[in-house]
Parts: sequence; C-alpha cells; structure tokens
Amino acid sequence: MRLVIAEDNVLLREGLQLLLTTVGHEVVAVAGSGPEVVPTLLEHRPDAAILDVRLPPGFRDEGLRAAIQARKLLPGLPILVLSQYVEETYAAELLADGAGGIGYLLKDRVARVEEFQEALERVAAGGTALDPEVVSQLLTRRDPLDSLTPREREVLSLMAQGLDNATIAATLVITERSVSKHIGNIFGKLGLPPDQAGDRRVRAVLTFLEAGD
Amino acid sequence: MKIRARFARSLRSTWYLVAGLRTALPALLGVCLLPLALLLAFGVPGLPWVAGRIRALTNVERRRAAKVLGQPILEPATPQAINPYQQYFSLMRSTAVWRDIGWMFVHGFVGLIVTVFSVEMWLTIPWNLALPFWWWTQPPGTLGAILQIYTWPQAIAYPVGSAALFIVIQLFLQPWLARFEGWYAQRLLGPTRRTELAARVESLTETRAEALEAHGAELRRIERDLHDGTQAQLVSAALRLGLADQRFDADPGGARKLMLDARTGIEDALAELRDVIRGIHPPILSDRGLAGAVRALAAGRPVPVSVEIPEPDRRCPAAVEAAAYFVVAEALTNVAKHSGAAHAWVSVRHDGPYLTVRVRDDGRGGADPAGGSGLAGIRRRVAALDGVTRIDSRTDGTGTTVEVELPCGL
Repeated sequence: MRLVIAEDNVLLREGLQLLLTTVGHEVVAVAGSGPEVVPTLLEHRPDAAILDVRLPPGFRDEGLRAAIQARKLLPGLPILVLSQYVEETYAAELLADGAGGIGYLLKDRVARVEEFQEALERVAAGGTALDPEVVSQLLTRRDPLDSLTPREREVLSLMAQGLDNATIAATLVITERSVSKHIGNIFGKLGLPPDQAGDRRVRAVLTFLEAGD
Repeated sequence: MKIRARFARSLRSTWYLVAGLRTALPALLGVCLLPLALLLAFGVPGLPWVAGRIRALTNVERRRAAKVLGQPILEPATPQAINPYQQYFSLMRSTAVWRDIGWMFVHGFVGLIVTVFSVEMWLTIPWNLALPFWWWTQPPGTLGAILQIYTWPQAIAYPVGSAALFIVIQLFLQPWLARFEGWYAQRLLGPTRRTELAARVESLTETRAEALEAHGAELRRIERDLHDGTQAQLVSAALRLGLADQRFDADPGGARKLMLDARTGIEDALAELRDVIRGIHPPILSDRGLAGAVRALAAGRPVPVSVEIPEPDRRCPAAVEAAAYFVVAEALTNVAKHSGAAHAWVSVRHDGPYLTVRVRDDGRGGADPAGGSGLAGIRRRVAALDGVTRIDSRTDGTGTTVEVELPCGL
C-alpha cells in the first residue's frame, strides 16, 4: 500500500515508517504540519493516509480538519486518524459523510502491531476502525440504544469498531448466520432501510453517534 | 389599599423618628459632656472608656437604622493595641471614632429637630380640624397661616382643605424624614470606602491564599499520580524489557512473555497519563475553545441538553476556562445521575469582567450543596479562582440551577 503520514513528532514518525515498511507498505511522503497535509495528499494520491489530530502550527485539531477537507477533495480517500486521546465529537465529524474508509484510533493501539495493521487494512478497504474507547464511551452514554438487546449491543459495539461478520462471529463464539440476523435487527431498530446511499454499517455507527443530540 | 399601606408606613416612620429620641437625647448629652470627657481623658487612660460608651450608643443606632435602611450598617473595627498608651493614640487617630462623634453632633441636634418637626406636622391636622369650633372666639383675620378667616364658609373649607393637604404631605414626608435619618446614620456610622477596600483586600488575600493552597494540593496530586502511577509502570516495563534482553537467547518463550507484559504495562501507563492530562487541562479545550468543548460535552448525554454559548470575542485565562468546563461537566453528570430531568440547559456568557456559567434542569431538585461531593468540588474550584457559586435547588418542581461567576481578567 502507498501511504502518506502526517505526524510532527520525529520519533513517532520514524517509528511508524519503520513499522509500516516492515509489514510491506510504502510510505511515499510525510507531512510535518497541518497546512502541508492536503497538498501532499493531492500530489501523491496515496492508497491511504495516517494523520495525527494535533499538528503544528497551532497544535489543536489541524489533522482532523485536514482529514475532513481531504475527504471533500478526494472522496473516499481512506484516512486513519491517530490521537493521544479520543473524543466522540471527532469520531462523529470524521464519519459524517457516511462513506466509510475512516479510522479513528488512540496512538496507544499502534503498539499492537497486528491489530493496528488490520485496522489500517480495513480502513483502506473502505471499512471503519473506531477505537474501542470511543465505542465504550458511546455505549455507556446513549439512551436511544435501550431498545437493543445486550447481544445486539455487543454486536453493534464490535461492528462500530469496524470488524466484519466473520470476526464478530468468532469473537462472540456464535455462528455468522446469527451475526447477520442480529445486524439485521439492529438496522431495523435504528431505522436504516437497505436502499439508502452509503455504507449501512457506517450509518448504524453514525446513528448512534448522533442519537440524542 | 395602597393609600392605606402608605398611611401605615407614614405612621411607622413617625414612630421610628420618635424612637430616635432614645439615641438623640443621649447623643445631645454626649455632645455637651464631650469637652469635659476629652479634657479628663486627655493624657489619662480614660479615653478607651469614653470611646467605648460612644460606640455602644452608635451601635444602638446602627441596629435601629438597619430596619429603615433594609440592610445592616457594618460596624467599623475598633483599633486594638497591646498597651494603653498605644491604645490611646490609635483611638485618637481612628477615623471611625471621630465619625462616631460627628454622628453624635448631627443626631443630637438634627435628629432632635427632625423628630419635633415630624410630630408637629401631625399635630397641625387636629389643630386645623378644631378651627371651626373656636375661630369666632378670636378677633377676625387673626387665624390661618396663609389665608385669613373672616366668614363661616372660610372657617370650614379652609381647615378641612389644609388638613387633607397635610395628610397627603405626611404620606411622603414622614418616610422621607425616616430615610433621611437612616441615610446620615449610614454615611457616618458605616464603613468608609477606604475601610471597605481594606476589607476587600483582606478577603482577596484570604482567597488568594486558598487558591495557592488549592493549587499546591493539585500539584501534589499530579506529582503523586505521575510518580506512583505512570513512572512506576514505566520502570516496571523497562525492567521487564531488561530481563527479556537477558533471557533472549536461553529462553525465547519467557523473553517474549516478558516483552508482552512490558507492553501491557506501557499501555496502562499511557491510559493513566491520559487521565492525568485530562485532569490538568482537558485537551479538547485547547483544540476547540470553551464553546466547542462545552458543545462536545453536551452532545450525546442521556438527557437532551440545549447549549447557548456565543462565540467569545476574547478568551479567558486557561484556568478559568478549565474551571468553567469542569463546572459544566460536573453539573451535567449530576443531572444525569440524580435529577430525573427531561431536559437541561447550559449557558455560558461574558458579563463584563465575569464569565457566567449556568446549568439548569427541569428535574426533581433538592440537591444539597453541602452533601454531594460534586457540588462541593464545584464550589471549591470556583472559590479558588475568587468566583461565586449559586445553587438553587428547591423541591417544588422548578429543577436545579447551578450558576457560577468567574472573574475573567479585568
């Protein structure tokens, strides 16, 4: 995979580059500050981008804003956002276009090389990867999800993290058929008809990100 | 009804003025004896006694005037000294003592005159009403202050008219006189602007000390969290990596286990570090400012929250914004946990030099500001910044309102 990284911390940037090249990806360019991100992406058109939320010059949410802008200019560009802390507002902003190909993970997860790699691949393939911490914040807070059964909540939580049916089935030790049945029920309860545009799995996650607002 | 209330008030004012004789007569006596008292006290340690008597009298007036003013007159501090010699000079220099004496002069003369005038004004009414019964005993044209009375119609119309006029005057005059007496008592017996400022400095010194204390406690807590938590975790992770290095050749399986343990330890340390950072200054505040951070806080609560935050034209100091954020977070947590409310409202606005934060809900109320650790935490944090906390939580179904005012730089 051809990748672009935006990360200002040199040590972390080199660590990421090392990790990604070790597992066989190619880092075609790095951006060290917020304003560089979008031009770099437009120039190199990578398969996926890894962005830090906080970047110079302001060290605020430049990376996040760059991600949202980049998605407008390059629709469907898979972006994995890394952050030192998770904020569900940010997750909602990233997923707002409903198109998938978005990941939002704590930087800590990078240390779990395999999981990180899987998440990156999922995002590159158009799926989602939400940090388990975001998902747990959502699950403890949301009221509208009361209509879901405990099992459906478990399934939704794993689905929100971005896992596919087979992995969910393996994690919960149930058959894939019952996973798809649960997911069907979740779509039904959250009022997501099958004919609408956008990835229904992403929209299910979005629905509960936006519920109660 | 309104007239009757006014009339009652007018009578009460008169009674207040008459009761003022209780202090006016001793004040007059004090004024007469003062030269003698000062002469005797001069150079003699009798001055504290004299000042004490005067203060006792003015304290009676302070309590009395508080009723008509609707607010207490604060007693100025009496100078305290270790020896009689110093006491003598500090009393002679004390403005409060001289102002007390000034009041004695004013009240002794003016107070007396005002009271006599007040009573005399009432007596004009029966005097006028009695005129028709005896005016004919006097030579024609000798009675009546403004018009002279010559005929019977005049003798009836004029006194009745003037009695009515006097009653109307009384409705306004008597309360005004009472307020006048209260006003000069307040001016002379209350603290001066100077002493008020001194008291303000004192309270600021106190809150500043508390703020420093709170700040110190916070630093110690952060130090403890980092030292005993994060740092210890990292040391233990490094230790495991060292051991793994030693065992690498002999026991690859054991080394791998140690490395994985080290990674778990580092992950825990990172999680702890995140909590510590959030406690110092929530990162979203730096990212999005107070308005964005509070909106993020309000979004996705189990209870719907309406937010009203105009984009500020200037930002408050970081500590003030962090405190405001903390208040909203804590209050919304309380709403979710205890109130049973169906809706909550958050408003943040700049009122001159203050940042006002208000969180209201329509729940069952009855929050005890002394009981909950959450509300106590809000109070402490706000007080540390010299702010004010108001908690209104009756159980009559009006919900709970938490309002804080934080000074945001003058």
